[in-house]
Amino acid sequence: MILLVAGMIYLGARISRNQKVGLEPPEAPQVAAGNPAPEFELKTLDGKTAKLSDYKGKAVLLNFWATWCEPCKIEMPWLVEYNKQYGPQGFTVLGVAMDDDADSKAWVQKDIRKFSDEMKVNYPVLLGTSKIGDTYGGVPFLPEIFYIGRDGKIVEHAIGLKGKGEIEENIKKIL
Amino acid sequence: MRTVILIIALGVASQAQEVQKKQYVSQLTTPHVSVAGAQTATVELKFAIQPEMHINSNHPNTDNLIATKLTLDLPTDLSVVKTIYPAGKDFAFAFDPSEKLNVYSGEFPITLHVRPAHGAMAGPLKVHGELQYQACNDRACFPPKKLPVEFEVTVLKTKSRRR
Repeated sequence: MILLVAGMIYLGARISRNQKVGLEPPEAPQVAAGNPAPEFELKTLDGKTAKLSDYKGKAVLLNFWATWCEPCKIEMPWLVEYNKQYGPQGFTVLGVAMDDDADSKAWVQKDIRKFSDEMKVNYPVLLGTSKIGDTYGGVPFLPEIFYIGRDGKIVEHAIGLKGKGEIEENIKKIL
Repeated sequence: MRTVILIIALGVASQAQEVQKKQYVSQLTTPHVSVAGAQTATVELKFAIQPEMHINSNHPNTDNLIATKLTLDLPTDLSVVKTIYPAGKDFAFAFDPSEKLNVYSGEFPITLHVRPAHGAMAGPLKVHGELQYQACNDRACFPPKKLPVEFEVTVLKTKSRRR
């Protein structure tokens, strides 16, 4: 019981410190590095359905983004470049658009398509839902990237805009 | 052991929900102005943005960004003649200095010119509304939020002229 209380106090202090900085959400246990990436099924921008298990055996960069997120816009050309460069090695980027009502409103999907076309996105764009947000720890900040290995386990988790070099280093870890 | 893990998991989930509910802008004061019928009064709403954060101005430079916008649920006896948003400041993320955004940071006001309707009853009118905004820091953006806003306007009795 003492250990439990001490653990809760430590966790509370850590979360409080991180939130004060305003950058780090509490690490959700189900999406911590080393755990299997949670399965999902989402509509794609081209009207199909995609599941994470469709990419079994591939290295996957799962990128949560939104059209209103400027840092997401900055890193997108890098993701396009890496998707082209490392695609032949069994790597893919999956972009999950987290705009409100992305999976249900046609005008939102139109905006997402326009934005994706402008950014010359060359990887599948999935239409996010609050359910996948909850499944992946809330996704309270954007951009957010999960690097998923060929065995389906989360290898790295990055919140917020990172450098291009850091993204490439993480991709190499999952190849 | 399972109980311990469950309690910690529930704690983390609860904190994650708190992060999502968190506001990054606050209303500094609740203005209270008085105005005689058919006159115009100025209401200055003051807001503060959390340190190291910014929100898009009312006129962000690109269409896809979410503008800061005030919407009010006005009593029938009151109208807003004019809403004045401050000009934003140019801001660029370090990774892309060429893309200039137009943002508010620190404290900023929104000024309203309000006017009671002709024949409005004397007395206080509480006005409620929402400030729509979308906040970012220098590395990440947070989902669009709506901050509840309020102010009060007292309509004064109009003196009747003696003949």
